[in-house]
Amino acid sequence: MTACATGYAVSCTREDHAGVRTLRREQELNRFLAEVEKRALRIAEISIRDRDEAMDLVQDSMIKLARKYADRSPDEWTPLFYRILQNGVRDWHRRQTVRNRVMVWFGRSTDKDSDFDPIAAAPDPAGRTPDEQLQSREAMQSLESAITELPARQREAFMLRTFEGLDVAGTASAMGCSEGSVKTHYSRAVHSLRATLGEHWQ
Amino acid sequence: MRKHDEPIATPDDEAFAKRARALFEQSVDELDANTQSRLNRGRQAALAELDKSGPLTIRTGQWVPAAGVAAAAVVAVVLWKGNVPDDPIAPPSSATDFEILMAEDSFEMLEDLEFYAWIDLETEPVDADDNVG
Repeated sequence: MTACATGYAVSCTREDHAGVRTLRREQELNRFLAEVEKRALRIAEISIRDRDEAMDLVQDSMIKLARKYADRSPDEWTPLFYRILQNGVRDWHRRQTVRNRVMVWFGRSTDKDSDFDPIAAAPDPAGRTPDEQLQSREAMQSLESAITELPARQREAFMLRTFEGLDVAGTASAMGCSEGSVKTHYSRAVHSLRATLGEHWQ
Repeated sequence: MRKHDEPIATPDDEAFAKRARALFEQSVDELDANTQSRLNRGRQAALAELDKSGPLTIRTGQWVPAAGVAAAAVVAVVLWKGNVPDDPIAPPSSATDFEILMAEDSFEMLEDLEFYAWIDLETEPVDADDNVG
């Protein structure tokens, strides 16, 4: 029996209850972040095509969620987290755009794909790679390349709906737009990707 | 009136999305240990933010008012008994009391404070006899 449950709850204060709530919330947040972090990293990586930068974005998003929204209901965490992450991705693209303009001014190459090596960026294989796994990786790399060619909003809608599994309402919340817009962006994304990848991909 | 942008997902669209999802999940499962370790460290850093925003203060300070209440309770029991020792050789040490109160099992003792007060009263005559000699 805890002190709080007895009639002599000398040490049972509001702070105790707050501490218990905080511990429980910390455990819930830990579970949530552990569950979402790997998919979030891959989504960010596909968006910006750089794992280290994606890692920074995911870490920043986790910290912002913990700092600002830990008190929210856990049901709200997924769209909130992805909204933070998507904002980070957009900011990253804006910074890249500015950087590329500067590079143009200095006469440097602006081909953002020139130093991107999809093989090097692929996940490290764990041991020997069967042919099926290799084919799957190649299919995923083709998909990633096609996704990066999508307009930003279509890309966001597709990845949140397909990869993260958010429903339309959750995706709309994460993207900060209407549910109708999500449906439109998602549908156009799917049709565009299918056209790009061709029937053989499926 | 149907919304003009209302998309209709065909079975082929759904099959495409299903395959894309499966490939994505496979790529997630293949993340290397170093990457997972970095994610774990990032998560711990995020959770540390919770401590910075208040809970740490609660954790470190939560026993301070409890200890104060406990000390006041002991003083109240002593005064209630009217058993302030007269012996100047062995005065009660408030520092010792505090150490006892701060001991881990003392918080359990506080749950049965009335019982211990009764035990103390029962043993009082023996203590008084000892002090006489």
